[in-house]
Amino acid sequence: MTELRLEGVTKRYGTDGSGTVALRDVDLTVRDGEFFTLVGPSGCGKTTTLRAIAGFETPTDGTVRFDGEAVTDAAPEDRDVGVVFQSYALFPHMSVAENVGYGLRYREPPAGTSVDERVRELLELVDLEGMGDRDPDQLSGGQRQRVALARALAPEPDLLLLDEPMSALDARLRESLRRQLKRIQSRLEITTVYVTHDQAEALAISDRLAVLRDGRIEQVGRPREIYREPSTRFVAEFVGDNNVFDASVRGRDGDRTRVAVDGSDREFELADVPAGAERVSFCVRPAALARDADANRFAVEIETSEFRGERVRTYGRWDGGSVVLQFDAETLLPSDPDGLENGATATTDGGTDDNGADGVDDGGDVAIDGDVVVGFAPTDAHVLETHSAEQRR
Amino acid sequence: MKRRALLGAIGSGSALGIAGCLTRDDGGDEEGDGTLTVVTYESMIDTEDSAGPWLKERFEDEFDAELEWEQLPDGGINHYVQRADRDAGIDADVYLGLNVDDLVRVDDQLEDGALFRELDDDRLERADRVRDEFALGDPHGRTLTYDMGYISLVYDETEVAEPASLEALTEPEYEDALLAQNAQKADSGQAFLLWTIDAFGEDGYLDYWQRLEDNGVRVLDGWSESYSGAYMEGERSMVVSYSTDQVYANRFDYDFSRHQVAFPDDQGYANPEGMAIFEGAGDADLAYDFFDFVLSSEAQAEIATRNVQYPAVADEHVDLDEEFDEYAHTPEEMVSFGYDDLQGNLDGWVEDWAQEFAGQ
Amino acid sequence: MSLADRLVVDRRSAGAASAWLERRALSLAALGTAAVLVVVLYLPVGLVFVEALLEDGSPTLGHVAEVVTDPFYFGVLADVFAEPLAIGDHLGALVGWLGGISIAVTLASPVPGLDLPVPWLAVDLPPVRKGLFGFTAYQAALSTVASVAIGLPAAYILANYEFRGRRTLRSLTILPFVLPGIMVAVGFYAMFGRTGTLNTLLGAVGLGPFAFVETSPLAIVILAHAFYNAPLVARLTVSAWESVDARTVETARSLGASPRRAFRDVVVPQLVPAVLTGALLTFIFTFMTFPIVLALGGLQLATVEVWIYDRVQRLAYGEAASLAILETVLSLGLTYAYLRYESARAGLSQAPSPPPREALFPDVRTALSPRRLAILGYGLVALVLFVGPLASLVVGSFTDGSGFTLRNYAFLLERQLEGASFQTRPVPAIRNSLLFGLATLAVAVPMGVVISVLTVRAGRSGRLVDTLAMLPLAVSGVVFGIGLLQGLVFGIPLPGGWRFQVTGAVAIVAAHAVAAYPFVTRNVSPLLATLDPAMVESARALGASRTRALLDVELPLVASGIVAGAAFAFAVSIGEFSSTVILASGSEHYTMPVAVERYLGRRSGPAIAMGTLLLAVTAASFVVVDRVGGRYEL
Repeated sequence: MTELRLEGVTKRYGTDGSGTVALRDVDLTVRDGEFFTLVGPSGCGKTTTLRAIAGFETPTDGTVRFDGEAVTDAAPEDRDVGVVFQSYALFPHMSVAENVGYGLRYREPPAGTSVDERVRELLELVDLEGMGDRDPDQLSGGQRQRVALARALAPEPDLLLLDEPMSALDARLRESLRRQLKRIQSRLEITTVYVTHDQAEALAISDRLAVLRDGRIEQVGRPREIYREPSTRFVAEFVGDNNVFDASVRGRDGDRTRVAVDGSDREFELADVPAGAERVSFCVRPAALARDADANRFAVEIETSEFRGERVRTYGRWDGGSVVLQFDAETLLPSDPDGLENGATATTDGGTDDNGADGVDDGGDVAIDGDVVVGFAPTDAHVLETHSAEQRR
Repeated sequence: MKRRALLGAIGSGSALGIAGCLTRDDGGDEEGDGTLTVVTYESMIDTEDSAGPWLKERFEDEFDAELEWEQLPDGGINHYVQRADRDAGIDADVYLGLNVDDLVRVDDQLEDGALFRELDDDRLERADRVRDEFALGDPHGRTLTYDMGYISLVYDETEVAEPASLEALTEPEYEDALLAQNAQKADSGQAFLLWTIDAFGEDGYLDYWQRLEDNGVRVLDGWSESYSGAYMEGERSMVVSYSTDQVYANRFDYDFSRHQVAFPDDQGYANPEGMAIFEGAGDADLAYDFFDFVLSSEAQAEIATRNVQYPAVADEHVDLDEEFDEYAHTPEEMVSFGYDDLQGNLDGWVEDWAQEFAGQ
Repeated sequence: MSLADRLVVDRRSAGAASAWLERRALSLAALGTAAVLVVVLYLPVGLVFVEALLEDGSPTLGHVAEVVTDPFYFGVLADVFAEPLAIGDHLGALVGWLGGISIAVTLASPVPGLDLPVPWLAVDLPPVRKGLFGFTAYQAALSTVASVAIGLPAAYILANYEFRGRRTLRSLTILPFVLPGIMVAVGFYAMFGRTGTLNTLLGAVGLGPFAFVETSPLAIVILAHAFYNAPLVARLTVSAWESVDARTVETARSLGASPRRAFRDVVVPQLVPAVLTGALLTFIFTFMTFPIVLALGGLQLATVEVWIYDRVQRLAYGEAASLAILETVLSLGLTYAYLRYESARAGLSQAPSPPPREALFPDVRTALSPRRLAILGYGLVALVLFVGPLASLVVGSFTDGSGFTLRNYAFLLERQLEGASFQTRPVPAIRNSLLFGLATLAVAVPMGVVISVLTVRAGRSGRLVDTLAMLPLAVSGVVFGIGLLQGLVFGIPLPGGWRFQVTGAVAIVAAHAVAAYPFVTRNVSPLLATLDPAMVESARALGASRTRALLDVELPLVASGIVAGAAFAFAVSIGEFSSTVILASGSEHYTMPVAVERYLGRRSGPAIAMGTLLLAVTAASFVVVDRVGGRYEL
């Protein structure tokens, strides 16, 4: 259907452009039929980007293209986009059916269907058949959000834009709506841009995603890429839990580089460190810190643990600072049933950010009563940035 | 509905902007087109029994001309002073209802003798019928008096006795009795103020008013508010008003005990009203004809009866009906300030007086 | 293809011109609004204001400085303005004044004419010279307090109780608004005068007569101001009350709040903006009050506007304009302060589900409860204050010296049938009033809405524009009139002997609309500010133009504000006198208030009959306006 491109899009506020900068030189391509997510902390520019795509904001610089055609200055009503807002923004003075049919006042329904048929079709699509005569304020939050989705989709837009559509809903409802949204999106093959601050949601739902920070794109990629190979320290820390280490290069053994982590005497071996680097930052996912790893072992003093069903997330300290670990709950609990109560705090928090993209290295039953020794394979460490001598100055 | 309203706004907005009403002065009326435009105050033409319609009908019959009444704009003489000042053009030929202070204002703002033509008495047959003492005293001879009113006091004889003098009004007998009008705004109020200046002098009138204030005088806005509002609803027992009051009381069956006319010190302040021809008048001959007509015995009687004002001409030139003779009262002595007395003084007198009351 | 389909296709293929127009409708409407404002407001007012700031062609603050340092205008403050740096002297004067205060307990009889001694804490303040501005502000403040105090109970009753004629009564609250000052004065004397209706009634039960007017002219003037403005406060508050979300009250109750606390914590905050709007407008109006003060109170109670009028009469424009500028600065300053407050508390809940109304007198027992008795008592006060003068006017139109008479109406009939072309006839006056009223609605509502739409989310600059948009209310009526005369009636000379002139019906409607649209804006803006901006964006993303989104989504949701504003706009037009009389070119554009004024001769009967007609026509119109408008309210 439609490919979306942003080329050098910049948005400044203030009369002479001297005010705050919301977007800096954003380049982005969303492929036809792709589910693309913009994720980042609040104020990162993700919503501004969405609004520039929808036409609610005009970029100070740069171009927005739908299928190659520049729409930068086109009014929202001329862009054929469907938008779903966090607040639902249903029209309270119209019935559900009128809400869904609203876009068909200005855009033709798909060939061969009447307005009424199209409205019925859409209500069915979002599992709200027979609710057409209700008023929006008679619906639950989830139902309202589905009406908003149906309303946005009714005129068959080229693009579907969703601005934090789930953040007002509770966790369970959010997951089920997410699945429903994904199902509908793949069925319709509609190019979709989804904005969220929730990185777990972003990883779960997207074909590809972009991580934004301070109005800039930090990284674009498929969820697995972003998770496994964050390109910046920010992405590494923002997407999922991560352990980031800063270290100085001590020497090289073939393709391995020996580094000393700041604050600790322990030397680690890393792979893939560019030649000439003096300083290096790298990250290791909690799941990669395994008790049975051969290399790079170090002792961690455990502070707290959170029970998360299948797994236990553990927070601890070592010479080099704090560290996050993850263990398989099955292997942990039977060996020392009191361990959690004595040495750590267990929580049964809803566990919303449990991504579980990787399995846990199972090293057999180990009791956790204060200390644990873990290690990681040099290839599991992902190098984020390096500094050579000249760069440091 | 709302959409149409919106388009309506656009429509009228552009009507203002585009139609914008550009006009071009086309050099005024042609000479002698047989139409006389007379501007006058509303009670001449628009209230019960106004003389205006009668004057128009008779004048048109008699002179085979057309008379157009024009309602005096809200600003009164100021309207025409400003028009002249801004070269905005004046359509009217004649101004009917000019007071002395209007002339003073004209000369203060424009130049001496401006706005109206100096009248040529040779072109008037009946100018000499007008009583000398009613003349406005214009040094530039621009006006002719056509009628006259006396300011007096109207009182309720069941509540107060007839006041013998202005001084008596400051006595306890008349405490909280008198209603007057704002001299800044109302002719009757200004006339009464001038009367007190005549009686107590430029140096003494403020002191007199101070004593009146101490005795509870109420100064309301205009004649209507004080007479139709306060006095007629029994609020007070005495009001500054016109000496023809009983003519109305008779016509509308009011109780005469509340419509007694008093002339303190046997005086009444005279307000003669004049007529004048605008500089740019199209048909001066017709205007002179109109003046003569207004001074005719018949017209003088009609104006007196309908507008309930005194004729400007001597008794032998007008025949008034009995009603007027019986109910319209005349003071033994008339007080009046002419042009020379007012010029350069009036504004200051009024301002000093008004500041006595306000902003304390 | 269904019918609906074809409609859509038709709409899509409709003429490019109309699409162009619709797309730009909002900008065009804004432009139109700006054009009307420039021509009918800024240009005329600017022409006069400039007189204060120019001396022989060069800019000066001399006129203004003269005014602010004149003790007649500014009383004790004049010294401060004259020598702002002599702080020691001013403090000394203040200390001296404070030293002069004495407090004593005495007995006083607060009820005029009744010898009912009440212990009274007498605070004896040494006299302060307030000056004209000080006194004007003082009486305006008192009038505002009185109007709010009298208006709020009415709003409470109209919003919370159901009774026969409630809607009609609500419609008629606007009636006092349209009455010419002279009619109110006559009505007040006829009601409260020594031989007035009230004394007649009291006399029947052996009381009185009381000199209500004479005892305290200031109190009567304040009551007359309340007569005009309490209904304004009431009306604004009722529409706010009706859009209170009852669920918020229920929530508060379920959280353990007593009815009283729930009212204080939940309802009051939602009413405050409306009440403050009413208070602000009342203060501005009564600060610039003119005819009514001198008609009832006398010259002792003269306000700034009286002096502006006098200066204009003497063609002393420099001083008149200086006074007017100071008035305007004060009014706009207050407005700005208020708007800051209003915007600081935006974000109230929307989608009202109005509180249920109780029956006013369901049974005898309830009718005797203290609350119902208090309502009854208030009803009596309202009857005396509002219905009294109006009814006395109506009665006055049917009486003369010999009792009942129809001659006043006979005069109107005769004038209508036989009146000459240069005379004022009743039917054209009624027709013109209604036509101008409707045309004003059609212009002022879009103007007001456009300004609301443009300013509501524009932050500080929006607030500034919004403040300036209140200019029509903040400019002296006398100065506005003179500006219209000099700017539009006389015309602006252009090269080539041309003049730019605007008079007649178009100018009258434009002037009325300019005077009326602030009421629309003030009613609509607060509601608009609470709407979710995503609503408009959703509509636009669905293909609606900005204008369409306004019409489809925003306007229906703020309909109650629009209807309330429209009612005011209509009332402003019907009651407008001063600019109408200046702009009415020739004799054919007079309206009902103008007719009242013109019939005012040596006898007030015909004018009062015309005034009664004005009341009747206005009342009928408002019942219709509210019935029609009511269908648009949520």
